[in-house]
Amino acid sequence: MPPRHVRQRKLTKATLQQVLREDQIESAEYDSNQNHQHVETGVERHEENEYHLQAALASTGGGKDSEEIPAPPAEKTVDIDYDALYSLRFKKPATYIRVSYTVEEVTGCQYDMDSEDDTWLQAYNQGKSASQKLSEDDFEKIIEVFEDTTENHTPFAAVDNTLIPFETMSAQIKLRLPSKLLDIAEHVYGHWKDRKQASGNKSIQPGLKFEINKDDDDADPYVCFRRREVRQTRKTRARDVQSVDKLKKLRKELEEARQLVALTHSREVQKQAMMLNEKTIFDQRYKVKVAKTKLGIKGDDEDFINQKVRCSTTRIEIIADLKQPQKRKSEFPQPQRTAPGTQLRLPGRSDGRPLEADLIQLSERIAEKENMLQKEIEEKTQQHRRWNQGHVDLTRDPLSPANGHGPETGFRPATAQYQYLMTPPSSVTSESFDHPSPAQEKSESFAFRYSSPPEEEPRGQPAYRRRIGRGGRLWIDRRGMSSAIKNDENMSDRWKYDQDDEEEQPVYEMDPHDTNALRFRATIPFPPHFYPQHGRQDNRPRAPGPNPANSRAIAPVQNPAAPP
Amino acid sequence: MAGGAQSQEPAVGSPAPKQKGKATIDTLKIGCLAMVMKDGRTRRAEVLSIKETKSGRQFYCNFDNFNKRLDEWVPAARIDFEQEVEWPNPELPKEAKKAAAPVAKKTTVPKKSQKRPAATREASIMSAEGETPKWSDSMESQKATPDAEGEDKVALKLELERDAATPNEEDDDAMDVDEAAIKAIKAKKEAPDPPQSRAEEIEKLRVGGSMTQNQADISRIRNISKVQFGNYTLYPWYFSPYPESFTQEDLMYICEFCLCYYGDLKAFTRHRHKCAMQHPPGNEIYRDDYVSFFEIDGRRQRTWCRNLCLLSRMFLDHKSTYHDVDPFLFYVMTTRDEKGCHLVGYFSKEKESADGFNVACILTLPQFQRKGYGRLLIQFSYELSKIEGKLGSPEKPLSDLGLLSYRQYWTENLIEILLDFNEREDKVSTEALAALLAMTPGDVESTLQALQMQIYHKGEHKIVLPMHLIKRHEMLKEKQKTKPKRVIDPARIQWKPPTFTAAQRTWGW
Repeated sequence: MPPRHVRQRKLTKATLQQVLREDQIESAEYDSNQNHQHVETGVERHEENEYHLQAALASTGGGKDSEEIPAPPAEKTVDIDYDALYSLRFKKPATYIRVSYTVEEVTGCQYDMDSEDDTWLQAYNQGKSASQKLSEDDFEKIIEVFEDTTENHTPFAAVDNTLIPFETMSAQIKLRLPSKLLDIAEHVYGHWKDRKQASGNKSIQPGLKFEINKDDDDADPYVCFRRREVRQTRKTRARDVQSVDKLKKLRKELEEARQLVALTHSREVQKQAMMLNEKTIFDQRYKVKVAKTKLGIKGDDEDFINQKVRCSTTRIEIIADLKQPQKRKSEFPQPQRTAPGTQLRLPGRSDGRPLEADLIQLSERIAEKENMLQKEIEEKTQQHRRWNQGHVDLTRDPLSPANGHGPETGFRPATAQYQYLMTPPSSVTSESFDHPSPAQEKSESFAFRYSSPPEEEPRGQPAYRRRIGRGGRLWIDRRGMSSAIKNDENMSDRWKYDQDDEEEQPVYEMDPHDTNALRFRATIPFPPHFYPQHGRQDNRPRAPGPNPANSRAIAPVQNPAAPP
Repeated sequence: MAGGAQSQEPAVGSPAPKQKGKATIDTLKIGCLAMVMKDGRTRRAEVLSIKETKSGRQFYCNFDNFNKRLDEWVPAARIDFEQEVEWPNPELPKEAKKAAAPVAKKTTVPKKSQKRPAATREASIMSAEGETPKWSDSMESQKATPDAEGEDKVALKLELERDAATPNEEDDDAMDVDEAAIKAIKAKKEAPDPPQSRAEEIEKLRVGGSMTQNQADISRIRNISKVQFGNYTLYPWYFSPYPESFTQEDLMYICEFCLCYYGDLKAFTRHRHKCAMQHPPGNEIYRDDYVSFFEIDGRRQRTWCRNLCLLSRMFLDHKSTYHDVDPFLFYVMTTRDEKGCHLVGYFSKEKESADGFNVACILTLPQFQRKGYGRLLIQFSYELSKIEGKLGSPEKPLSDLGLLSYRQYWTENLIEILLDFNEREDKVSTEALAALLAMTPGDVESTLQALQMQIYHKGEHKIVLPMHLIKRHEMLKEKQKTKPKRVIDPARIQWKPPTFTAAQRTWGW
């Protein structure tokens, strides 16, 4: 930097600078005050002076048409059939593309045959019938197996010059390719061996040079993509154990995956065998049929139809029984073989077996599960009670009473007096009032069995329970008070004529013997002057229909009441 | 000599007084500096390689002050044998250099072709002034070195070398790197005696075969001559470590979508038959009606990213393929048509950059250059930095084309903002400018300096907008009214800065 007469103030990043146009300042001053210092370009020193770069930089500064840096051009290729090479058509998805497949996953067979292979293959296929010919795809698959096996079994083949014998290869071929290729593979093996030896026992396909830790690796410009040094973490016993555990787990998981694959494989093999058997049976039957027609033998053709094999598990029988009792009547008592007719007539049974018989119905399954669940819940509650037996909470003003958790404290139906028969109390205290517990649904079915008058809203059956809350307050929870809510329109009506005069009682017409009314009356615990909607304790929005469960807490002192 | 005629056109050759003399086709050897015809005039050029063709011997020449991408094979007819040729003096590089050091005023980069083959970018960085290089310079230059390990080794080797050699040449070799150092040691072992006579040299050349050459020199020579890529034929600019056997092929085929490479047409055709890739294998993070951007993790898409690096290495001299692709994310720009998403350009970005770089390598493929795609790439890199809430800068060194592209982008954006400040008669700091553009303050400052916009006037620093830049800006605006400039719409970017767990950050396998 040339020495200055004036000492400049330091220019920092944060210095606020005035922005001027060149024409807003005297040109002489502008010229004289310009800094002519070397600017950091970020280009390497020896390249910075390159002729074309300097020309281009000078031209951008000078405002002339910017000079371009010459570079070898790219051309449209004329002598290739682009459309044939790139034949796939692309459809732009509506959303942003998100994929994670790798190159190897979308390029199919990893060996691409070259012209040398092509020559060999054409010679091999010469004079062979179309069925005997080896296709290019199969050829590549075979070589791929060879190359893969080489890489896996003898990773240092290029150094120690080992060549895997065909016996090992054939085992791999059997494993990975259809068996018909095995014979051809032997021929291909010869060709592969030749090529392998010609390439110094390296991979046939030209590949990149990776480091092999020879001394001259570093200087070889062809060696690329070296591994990075791993930052050494401190070796501790805990880390060792961790690694061992990880390895064990990995090993176990891999083993499991392997078994799964093996099992799947054997299953598919069996399936195949089964299908083959079925086919032979079909063929045989066909022959029999033909023979019969020829010989004029008349008789029932039941042998030609697959007969239902008796289910071994009785459970399935029962399910079928439950589902179609009348069908079972026709099938079961008779010997199986003599009832082909009925079976044939049933729709959707091509092989004569009732479809439903071997199917486990979903509903059955669900019911079964529900039962199990129910049983478990009951068991748990019993157990819980056993644990808590004799438990006395000695603290002052216990938060929750220790007793009162048994089923006996659950909701009891309030309908008992009005209906002939009492429904047994539900066995479980439902914790959440929002959802009917399975137990309640059970009680419905009981109600049905006792043939009590049908209820329009079985779940709305009024029920109550008593419990002792905090500080010994007595609470009565009710639910199923749906009839009250039904009067919603009436209530809004009432508001219309509501006056300050609270004495006046509205009169509603109703049949005093109506069950609903009866039921309702039974539920009136308090005089109606505490008005409902506001005073309600739970602010939950109430559906107009029958609410499966609604509860209200009634404190002994204040009496929030139900609507009249 | 060094201070004389050649001081205007330095760059090739050592500053040492060299043996000069007439040469013939047969005696001209690797490392010689000869006058060669290029674009209608003779230029000084270094012979880097020699090959025999059917039409005669050809010489691979690197021209003085021309970028390597303009290196070419030259038939003997273009070499001026009337003029004297400078012979390389490999055997006493140290002594020669020492003697030359004070004389060589403006000469850059003494390329002691045999001793110091400048195989890597680090190797060729020398002080431009010819004076003792400052350590800060060398540090800076070495920052670009991919691994710190290597540097340590170099330092160590240099120590050894220094002991072995003359003790008083202190700083000359401070910036030498691996290969150069190794070669130097080797050279010493192999040829300890002082300069051979010319006859001996020629004899050695004959016997040893002129075609064998220093291995590190290989990377100075373009190895692939022609590439068939998608619907285009590309002529590579630089060496790229594709399989060595491809060097013999006239044409290399690269699949446009998976970027796999083939030397054989049949193999390539077979590959195309099977390849189902139609767009880069990653997540699309930006799409407009013109281009799409894909984000690709080097660790997950190792093959694809390696292929991309090999491809781009052909057009980026400073790209390092020394290490694997794991620690990089690749942002790939494509155009769409009915065949798929075609690779146009990309930039790579370190998952964690210690220096705050937001771009490691950036390239527009030659067939798409000079069409404004580079600007889109650069803009996108800054948009990502904005989302990250960071200030970004491209990794150094920049190439010549890289510098021009970045300068242009920076200039346009700065001018636009500064005009706005000028209208509002508001003051601004470089920091504020940097924050607006997600650029580093250093880049802002260097751009302002390069455009000669900073002056010190009446005791205050001021920014002055030169008229020619204002005019050009207005012209551009005018042009954009009829033909809108393509820009990245930040609202269309669907991207969150990726985060990596500690396990993912350990790059080792």
